[in-house]
Amino acid sequence: MLEGIMIGLTTALSIQNLLFVMMGCLAGTFIGMLPGLGPMSAIALMIPIAATLDPSAGIILMAAVYYGAIFGGSTSSILINAPGVASTVATSFDGYPMAKSGKAGKALAIAAYSSFSGGVIAALFLLVAAPFLASVSLSFQSTDYFALMVLGLVAVAAFAGKGDMAKALLMTVIGLMLSTVGTDQTQGVPRFTLGMIDLVDGISFLLLVMATFALSEALMAILKPKGDADRLKEKEASENLGSMAVSKDEVKEMAPVIGRSSILGFLIGVLPGAGATIASFLAYGTEQRIAGPEKGKQFGKGSVRGLSAPETANNAAATGSFVPLLTLGIPGSGTTAIMLGALIGYGIQPGPRLYIDQPEVFWSVIVSMWIGNIVLLILNLPLIPYIARVLAIPSRFLLPLILFFSLIGVYFVSFNTFDIQLMVLFAIAAVVLRMLDFPMAPMILGFILGGMMEENLRRALLINNDSWSFLWERPLTLTILIIAALCLVAPFLTGKIREMKDRAYERTSGSGD
Amino acid sequence: MPISKDRLGGLLLLAFCIAYAFLSQQIRLLPFQESSAFHARTMPEVLSVLGIGLSLIVIAFPGSKARLELAGHDWLKVGLFLALMSAYGLTIRPLGFIASTSLFLMIGFFMLGERRPLYLIAVAVPLVVLFWVLMTQGLDVFIEPLPTFLRGGN
Repeated sequence: MLEGIMIGLTTALSIQNLLFVMMGCLAGTFIGMLPGLGPMSAIALMIPIAATLDPSAGIILMAAVYYGAIFGGSTSSILINAPGVASTVATSFDGYPMAKSGKAGKALAIAAYSSFSGGVIAALFLLVAAPFLASVSLSFQSTDYFALMVLGLVAVAAFAGKGDMAKALLMTVIGLMLSTVGTDQTQGVPRFTLGMIDLVDGISFLLLVMATFALSEALMAILKPKGDADRLKEKEASENLGSMAVSKDEVKEMAPVIGRSSILGFLIGVLPGAGATIASFLAYGTEQRIAGPEKGKQFGKGSVRGLSAPETANNAAATGSFVPLLTLGIPGSGTTAIMLGALIGYGIQPGPRLYIDQPEVFWSVIVSMWIGNIVLLILNLPLIPYIARVLAIPSRFLLPLILFFSLIGVYFVSFNTFDIQLMVLFAIAAVVLRMLDFPMAPMILGFILGGMMEENLRRALLINNDSWSFLWERPLTLTILIIAALCLVAPFLTGKIREMKDRAYERTSGSGD
Repeated sequence: MPISKDRLGGLLLLAFCIAYAFLSQQIRLLPFQESSAFHARTMPEVLSVLGIGLSLIVIAFPGSKARLELAGHDWLKVGLFLALMSAYGLTIRPLGFIASTSLFLMIGFFMLGERRPLYLIAVAVPLVVLFWVLMTQGLDVFIEPLPTFLRGGN
């Protein structure tokens, strides 16, 4: 492991890669701060640049953008109560009231220290967990991988909530369907190309991500323009931040919260599908419960604990989500799915072999997480009063620029104008589906895992003489599939149990009256 | 009859899944491939069944009864922007990167309310030129800057 860390340090600490970490953190913060644009859009916008770099530098850049975007999202949550992404919603519960009471600078500093600590502690866990899991997963066969991918896809849908689960599953299937467009990899048969030569190579994942996230976000902002009051609020918030100093008492209050939320966040992040949003809400809820009646009352009114917990947990979860990506090659979230797509673009197949075949990529990603977090703290925090000015850029300039960067990002990779027209089509579909509250992240996950899933299923059938019995004969495969089935059933079961409890409570309280 | 967002989305995706299922049957297979347990149609067929089934579930058991609100949205502007993006795709080669992108940005700024010609030009043109220099000089990604009629050679 020590040797690995040294490889990682040598790679990540090269001048070039350090510059990419700084650039990534700054660009990520800048993009993440724009309401509506989250880490997924930020990473997608960076892929065309990352594609021109070597794999280690490219992944380091994207990881830095990821952290930067999470931090940027927290900033807009705190300053203008506009969380760019779901994972920073919990941050706004206490961050915004704190900012409203004239302590915006302090709130940003607490968020930054908490994010830093959560990221650094979780990277330490990753350092231990990833090689261990990678060595275990070396014994996995294609049948297990197929089952793991099913689990990953199902888990993302299961965490969408009881009412939205069918929609999330349907979007996953749509993503899988889109992944089948193009020439079939094993038999060379064209599928769903509609006779168009431009579709023979399939749909580019970058195109799909840009169209469904960055492009559709900008179009949604054009569709629902902000009022003058909102714009004024953004301008004022970006100009008056106040002091950024954090007192000793506040540090003492934050320390245990950071410890607990880091562990919780990391563990939740490792689970496929759970991710930073659930981690941040769980950490917030846990801290509120254990805070005691007096401190508990401050939650929602600018509590230090209430701000520190979700901020620590969402960053720790972001780090945790790299565990299944790096060790199994299975992304646990939409963001890591985009990273997987980028890695595949480099010709790198993440999974247990990555640890052995390309240790410099594996370790440099882990080491760059520490460096990224340090850079975020020492570079972004002092710069935040200036970066926050981005909130004051008029949307009449910002939105066409986002559209331009999205379109040109895809065009610069393929130099095919057909891709721009295809993006427009996907953007229309994405806007319609967003208006109808259909989630986009499961579709991206399905799209990226689709090809691998088909390949692993084909291989599994080949190994098993065309028999589907591997689904129940191999214990590991069966166990993973049972967990997947439980993920599907669990929301219904817990809902039923809660209903029964509520009914029993009503009955007892009714008889008591 | 008013229809909920979930049902409307379910219906749209059902139509997509049916079209997908129909097209999956058009995938051509060689005779020896048809008898194998897994071929180019297997995954699409499984996905068609799953997609149609899930669409029907969403339609039959919608998670929410919220309805689509069309009022208060600037649909015309979004339509114009979609047309602008499409036009950008069609003009980027014949007009060259600098002219087509500057036009795209200036029209975009104008459509969103910027009316001062000086601002339109002063924001768009330097930014596009700087971006072009960064891409070609910094990242070695070349893109033709000039319109077809100004390019030298063949």
